[in-house]
Amino acid sequence: MPSLLAEQARGQKEFEVEAPTVGAALRALPLRDLLFDERDELRPLVNVYVNGVDARERGGLEAELRGGETVRVVAAIAGG
Amino acid sequence: MSLAILVGTRKGLFVLRGDEDRRTWKLEEPLLPGWDVFHAITHDGVVYVAANNFVYGATVQRSTDFGQTWERSEGLGLPEDSGLTLEKSWHVEPGHDGTFWLGAAPGALFRSEDAGETWAPVQSILEHPTRDRWNPGAGGMCTHSIQIDPHDPKTMYVGISAAGVFRSEDGGESWTPANKGTAADFMPDDPFPEVGQCVHKLLVHPAQPERLWQQNHCGVYRSDDRGENWERLEGNGLPSGFGFPIALHPRDPDVALVVPEEGAENRVTAGGRLGVYKTTDGGRSWALSSNGLPEQAWVAVLRECMSYDHLDPFGVYLGTQSGSVFVSPDEGEAWIEAASQLPPILSVEVGEWE
Repeated sequence: MPSLLAEQARGQKEFEVEAPTVGAALRALPLRDLLFDERDELRPLVNVYVNGVDARERGGLEAELRGGETVRVVAAIAGG
Repeated sequence: MSLAILVGTRKGLFVLRGDEDRRTWKLEEPLLPGWDVFHAITHDGVVYVAANNFVYGATVQRSTDFGQTWERSEGLGLPEDSGLTLEKSWHVEPGHDGTFWLGAAPGALFRSEDAGETWAPVQSILEHPTRDRWNPGAGGMCTHSIQIDPHDPKTMYVGISAAGVFRSEDGGESWTPANKGTAADFMPDDPFPEVGQCVHKLLVHPAQPERLWQQNHCGVYRSDDRGENWERLEGNGLPSGFGFPIALHPRDPDVALVVPEEGAENRVTAGGRLGVYKTTDGGRSWALSSNGLPEQAWVAVLRECMSYDHLDPFGVYLGTQSGSVFVSPDEGEAWIEAASQLPPILSVEVGEWE
């Protein structure tokens, strides 16, 4: 998790969850409300990588996880 | 407990610690770094913050230990049948009997009965029959002003840009437009519509709650009948009717302070100075009240960026988009700079800190 999100989880940057898909893994986190809006849509500037590969290349949130994989949340590079 | 100025900025919440003398302030390390703090208050020892992030959305953050740890409110969002999704949280207002209210964009109001742990959207605002005539201002369609009659919990007001002022007499169950006499000069076909006015800040006088003040896109106004009728007040010492914040005297309903800007197309302080203008006669006349403020300045003071305390003499607090906080401990007579070089300031409130 990026630092700003980790601060919202009392400093925790890494979580171990059991989940069949990328989306299920993210929704199991205590940061779910910051990653998804109230329609359960992933916020547009949140990017997700699985083992270093953009999750969109594997089917996005529906992509299946095989176990032992690393899901990384990366905020869009923008700001001011 | 000590006095503190809560300064919401584009990059976190800053706390300035002081005492009742209000002439010396100590700046502390920022809280909630990385968050746009639209508004922050303390109430009964709890800090409530309307905090937004361009990636992670709109939140309300609460702290019961003065910023050491934070909890996010749960379930903050708009119902699916509204067709709307939450854009920004704007303003937290304590009500009567433990109720809290949250103003948000787009044109939303939330109510909490558990001290901000959870929030329920107020349907009567989302479904207001005039809603198709509301339009967003430059800051989005924000519910930025929530005012509750200090004696009557059923009577309350909201200000939404650009929808106007609405009054409820049943604790938020229903809302009546309260814009008679306030102009919408940007609507040339109907400059005095029922709704659509661009109210910038609305305040109820705490000692005379039938008296309301508002700084509007199109003038400064006072109402003496709970918003039924409004009187436009500039042209008698004010360099401009355009501005954002307004502050009051906690006891004298005839006193108000505003910070005029050049106009809608050039949103900098009027006359090339940071000028606070004060009336002591209900808005019939205004005089510059800027001793100690920069005499050469093209700054902006946003709608949430002026506040006042309830001490005697009362203090006035303002923050600029250029990152300076100014304090007048003597009702606007003289000002000191309490902090500078902060990120752009989005809100200023005064409260008690541990």
